[in-house]
Amino acid sequence: MLEEIKSIKKAPVEEYYVPGHRTCAGCGPALQYRLVAKAAGPNTIFLGPTGCMYVANTSYGCGPWAVPWIHAQITNGGAVASGIEAAYKAMIRKHKTDAEFPNIIVMAGDGGSADIGIQALSAAFYRGHNILFVAYDNESYANTGIQTSPTTPYGAWTTFSPAGPVIPEGKKLMPKDLPKIMAHGHPELKYLATASLSYPLDLMNKVRKGLNANGPAFLYIHAPCPKGWSFPADKTVEIGKLAVETGMFQLYELDGGEYKLTYKPRELKPVSEYIKYQGRFSHLQPEHIEKLQQFANQRLKEVGIEAVAAPAE
Amino acid sequence: MSVPVKEVPFAGTVPSPKTENEGMITGNWRTRRPVLDADKCTNCLICWISCPDSSVNQNADVVSFNLKYCKGCGICNEVCPVGAISLAPELDFED
Amino acid sequence: MGVKKRISGCVATANAVKLADVEVICSYPIRPYTGIMSELARMVADGELDAEFVYGEGEHGQLSVVYGASAAGARAFTGSSGVGVTYAMEVYSPISGERLPLQMAIADRTLDPPGDFGSEQTDALCCRDQGWIQGWASTPQEALDLTLLYYRIGEDPRVLLPQYACQDGYFVSHILGEVDIPDAAQVKEFLPPYKNHHVLDPRNPQIIGAQMEPSMGPGMQYQRYQAIEGSRKVIEEVHEEFGRIFGRKYAPWVEEYMTDDAEVVIFMQGGHAETCKTVVKRLRNLGEKVGLVRLRTFRPFPTQQVRDALGRFKAVGVVDNSVNFGISGAAGVLLTEARTALYGLGDKVPTVGFVAGLGGEMITHDEFYKMFAKLKEVAKAGKADKQSYWLPFEL
Repeated sequence: MLEEIKSIKKAPVEEYYVPGHRTCAGCGPALQYRLVAKAAGPNTIFLGPTGCMYVANTSYGCGPWAVPWIHAQITNGGAVASGIEAAYKAMIRKHKTDAEFPNIIVMAGDGGSADIGIQALSAAFYRGHNILFVAYDNESYANTGIQTSPTTPYGAWTTFSPAGPVIPEGKKLMPKDLPKIMAHGHPELKYLATASLSYPLDLMNKVRKGLNANGPAFLYIHAPCPKGWSFPADKTVEIGKLAVETGMFQLYELDGGEYKLTYKPRELKPVSEYIKYQGRFSHLQPEHIEKLQQFANQRLKEVGIEAVAAPAE
Repeated sequence: MSVPVKEVPFAGTVPSPKTENEGMITGNWRTRRPVLDADKCTNCLICWISCPDSSVNQNADVVSFNLKYCKGCGICNEVCPVGAISLAPELDFED
Repeated sequence: MGVKKRISGCVATANAVKLADVEVICSYPIRPYTGIMSELARMVADGELDAEFVYGEGEHGQLSVVYGASAAGARAFTGSSGVGVTYAMEVYSPISGERLPLQMAIADRTLDPPGDFGSEQTDALCCRDQGWIQGWASTPQEALDLTLLYYRIGEDPRVLLPQYACQDGYFVSHILGEVDIPDAAQVKEFLPPYKNHHVLDPRNPQIIGAQMEPSMGPGMQYQRYQAIEGSRKVIEEVHEEFGRIFGRKYAPWVEEYMTDDAEVVIFMQGGHAETCKTVVKRLRNLGEKVGLVRLRTFRPFPTQQVRDALGRFKAVGVVDNSVNFGISGAAGVLLTEARTALYGLGDKVPTVGFVAGLGGEMITHDEFYKMFAKLKEVAKAGKADKQSYWLPFEL
């Protein structure tokens, strides 16, 4: 049983995602990885489906984990985790190991969770394996050079959704809502939450709740990407905060079948405040920004927050 | 030039590092170096918890930086609530 | 001692998996291999086998589940047929590259050409170059034995490679044969518990499958090449020991049937060889000098042993139950492999291919008679007028 972390000062000093990785300066996914590892502690096995958190972390035949780590294909994080979990269950039951049952954590990007990896993810949760699946969302296929994924927001530039005279907004589709997909329709689900690297204490405690849940737990972590979203490397935490304060990302958990908001912005800012720092939205016209505002309002409404902010002028 | 077979890790498997991954030292990426004003630092540890590279160290009174790995992203400077961290051009330093 | 039962190839394989006392099984239905999994599911439900029975979400998921299970240190089993085998293709190379000795049974089936799903070896042969041990059983008894043999070979610390234990769909998987099911004590003597040193254990943390720079690529492939080459010696030793413990002696590479003074032979693998044996026997009764050479291990391919075995005949017919489109005139996989083995013997051993039994058709006695008749012609002329013949259209 992992105990609640009461304050940043009381967070474990030990690092299990140690310094020495080729992620970009200011990398949001790297920061959330560190927080997840810190909260999980030493009795942990990480799985890395292909993506930034595989490639940038394990370059040149080494990696930054002080705990076991194994590569999974971008397709199959949920399935490989299921196999590890089933193996430990059987080996412990049949006295073939004297190891303690470990925390089994998949660290998948939005491609490895919401897109090509969704089949393995959904199947693992349907079967009820005791794993924590983290989907760190940097809202694009960033490892391959920023291509759109199902969680790339409406209006965002990527190399597969460039803005041009015929398609002025770039990305035309609205993003998938992965936590909602996971929340409804997996009867074995024990815990689900969204988190942001800009709220580290909340994030670490959600990791612990997920690991304590004794069944499939899903954590969806917003992880700003300086390179893919085109903002300065020192603004990662601020962008993450703005996403929450403008309603573009909502912090909640689903524990025992009940939705609960874990953070409610005191005063909502317009989404224009969020997008103005990000080059990926720089081509947007007012009508596109209005559409993005409507999207945020809708998502907020779904989790019980009425949008009060006025659309950007 | 191909690495000799015996030096290639068996089954693509290598031991995990314990406290740092010396296979990927990133301190030389830095163009700006974080500098602490110890008088201002309240040791609130917000910079420590916000560092993607685990390169802010906790000490008894104030934090310090692990310059072997710090990439100089500047998040620590941005999140510091009391303005105790500044960034100085890396070329200003001898080491 | 063991018991004798009349069971199918599928049930025989399931019995071997039970005797191997696996920890993790991952299923997904596709005919005809499904019979293995439903029998294993029954065994788990009835308490005959203590294993995690995981419902895979597809064949790709199946192979991914057993990849994880094997990396965690468990003995793992899965299986498939036809397009299921090819759907899982992504995962085969990392499994052998990470040296995880799990096992996959394949009851083979054609690859939706379209609309047909009968027996054909093309599916399993598509995976032949992935660094796995691979071979075909020709009877339910051999299906059981292959499972035990392959776990032992694959888990040998000198090998550490995964295995495809193949049997022809329907013709072996669903045909009843008398099977000697060994008892657990015998199997325990033959197959020690699975132990691997690079496993996921927080008490000894390791990083498995880190990205490598290209300069390590050649060495990574060379290690896998050394592993499969090194398995040849182990395969021979393990077959020897299998014979000692179970009393059933198999030639590890090629099984010869009535070849002593034969002039022409058929070379093939799998269950259709049993049909061929009947024809060989009848032709022998008529005084014809014919024989059969059955390949038992396809990967590693026993090039030298095949050369030694086939190099002494006046003509060789290679029966292919697979397609290999686009190789001029030589339409099956086994023919190209056999020709490679015989390279340099030139005209001394004229070799001709017979593509037969595709898509689930039987290879009939009549067809084997025609093949032997053609081989007699080839032996007499010292050469073939075609590289291969498709049955029944071209012969």
